[in-house]
Amino acid sequence: MSNLAPLNEAIKKGNRNEAKRLVTEAIAAKLPPREILDAMVAAMDEIGARFQRNEVFVPEMLIASRAMKEALAILEPTLVKAGITPEFTAVIGTVQGDLHDIGKNLVAMMWKGANFAVVDLGTNVSPEAFVKAAQEHKAKIVGLSGLLTTTMPAMKQAVEALRKAGLPGLKVMIGGAPITAEFAKEIGADGFSPDAASAVDLARKLAVA
Amino acid sequence: MTKLTSQERVSRAFAHKPHDRVPRSESFWPDTITRWKKEGLMGGSREVLELLETDFHNINWLWPRPFPGDEQLVSEDAETHVVRDESGRLLRRWKHKSGTPEHLGFECDSREIWEKKYKPAFMETGLQINPAATMRAYREGRGKGRWCMLNAVESFEQTRAIIGDEVTMIAMAEDPDWVRDISQTVTDIALQNLDAAMATGITPDGLFVYGDMAFKTATFCSPQMYKDLIWPDHKRFADWAHAHRMKFIYHTDGNVNNAIDLYLEAGFDCLQPLECKAGMDIRKLCPKYGDKMAFFGNIDVMAMKDNNLAVIEHEIASKFAAGMKTNAYIYHSDHSVPPQVSWETYKAVIELVKKYGQY
Ligand code: B12
Repeated sequence: MSNLAPLNEAIKKGNRNEAKRLVTEAIAAKLPPREILDAMVAAMDEIGARFQRNEVFVPEMLIASRAMKEALAILEPTLVKAGITPEFTAVIGTVQGDLHDIGKNLVAMMWKGANFAVVDLGTNVSPEAFVKAAQEHKAKIVGLSGLLTTTMPAMKQAVEALRKAGLPGLKVMIGGAPITAEFAKEIGADGFSPDAASAVDLARKLAVA
Repeated sequence: MTKLTSQERVSRAFAHKPHDRVPRSESFWPDTITRWKKEGLMGGSREVLELLETDFHNINWLWPRPFPGDEQLVSEDAETHVVRDESGRLLRRWKHKSGTPEHLGFECDSREIWEKKYKPAFMETGLQINPAATMRAYREGRGKGRWCMLNAVESFEQTRAIIGDEVTMIAMAEDPDWVRDISQTVTDIALQNLDAAMATGITPDGLFVYGDMAFKTATFCSPQMYKDLIWPDHKRFADWAHAHRMKFIYHTDGNVNNAIDLYLEAGFDCLQPLECKAGMDIRKLCPKYGDKMAFFGNIDVMAMKDNNLAVIEHEIASKFAAGMKTNAYIYHSDHSVPPQVSWETYKAVIELVKKYGQY
């Protein structure tokens, strides 16, 4: 793992060119693809934890996520060949009536960084669109983002629609500025995370639950 | 104490000197006013502010655009057309139906486009403030004895509106000179507009500058990055206000606890609206900073939204007690009153503000 430390570091620093160069080298050196991936995912986990502690902020998160995304794209064919696929599929979107997307995008990036397949539906997403995407992509997790108190009812409607669709094993997570754990309970969601780092931990936990 | 005029009251609050009652102001979502009209409000937000006996008067609205009044067609098909609006946003509009346009992105998403097109466009737009209208609004405010303030958007909000949130924040990390250039350019333009307003001979009491630099848990960027890239232009606004014997009020949403020392260093006189669910609490801030800075707002709309008067009363009583100890507290919700709040409830809020705000 120690020879993968520079790759891990390049992702944490958001140095995308360095990250792409190092992942290419690691593939050429025939390092086990799983190890390469783990080193990269560990970098994003650490960046997420630092963000949670207010040690790094949105700009640093964004450049780290971009370095991760670009390096992961290079590694992807190797992963496929080795039979390593994303852990599961997660659908995410901002609920109907709401256009805020910075937080939702960060969660989507962190999920991609954690090696989940992510389907990002964008903003102003209707309950039906969440259901359709969850069915189509056989999602394990659906993430709803909402930043307005006035769109919290839309979140409830989306949860209800997903429940009604009766998708086996599907877990619904919610987040956003006014959202609390109590609200998640109240509307029957499976979980709430206050930030992008804990959104990764929670998704991992819920996906196996 | 004998009753003061609004101007006297707010001026004393900003000087941290005794006054008769807590000064007041408020903002509302448009949907809130629509709801209240159905519930018996006669008039609009103006009438609510009269009922609250607001002490503040805005005399202008300044958000300079690169292409004022100039929307351009970028492409079209049978159903839609894509336009570049006066701010440079790319929007898809439906030809045969109404509805919110789809937001496709920002035309200005690289330093090259900024330097070749947007910066020159900004420099060429000329005045975007209407000095005559500003003077009229000033006279109206003075006629009512209110504390009159100029308004402007600051450079971080404006940068995000020109190049988008993500490009802005990536550039802060990777191309800080670009961000500095945008911030300085738009601040120059704002100050030129404010100078033009002052050239009419008005003497407002304050400058209110708004621009969100934080969210629920923290500032968007680190305090060091803020100090390096944006703060110098925030300080220019504060210095400009002070050079014109005005107070400087800064509006930002979100958790800015980690930036308050920098605000004080730049000479900010007041912070607004102090968003509660983002961890801003004057009961903690006043003991620490109350002798150096006035606090404006912080009454939690989440406490109002369930229309539970006991909860609201506790919120107002406890926050007012903390704020009034400093002689420098002004009532406002912690952002703007949302449409879950009934007109009945808001009328009760006004009464509570009157009851607990008496010195
Ligand atoms: C930036 C911003 C805007 C921008 C949005 C730009 C964009 N592209 O998103 C603009 C200017 C467009 C805007 C518009 C409006 N806004 Co606004 N906005 C904000 C602001 C300042 C920051 C939001 C943000 O970007 N945060 C940064 C990210 C990183 O944080 P986050 O979203 O909280 O996400 C984190 C967590 O919550 C969590 N998370 C988020 N989503 C999810 C999803 C899942 C599944 C999980 C697990 C976790 C999770 O993880 C994220 C990363 O750690 C907030 C203030 C605040 N306190 O949040 C107000 C705020 C949300 N806005 C508000 C309002 C009122 C509005 C407007 C109605 C009016 C206005 N001010 O213009 C319009 C509404 C437009 C609409 N229909 O949606 C209010 C809402 C109040 C209320 N009572 O509901 C707020 C709270 C401001 C306030 N002080 O009251 N806004």
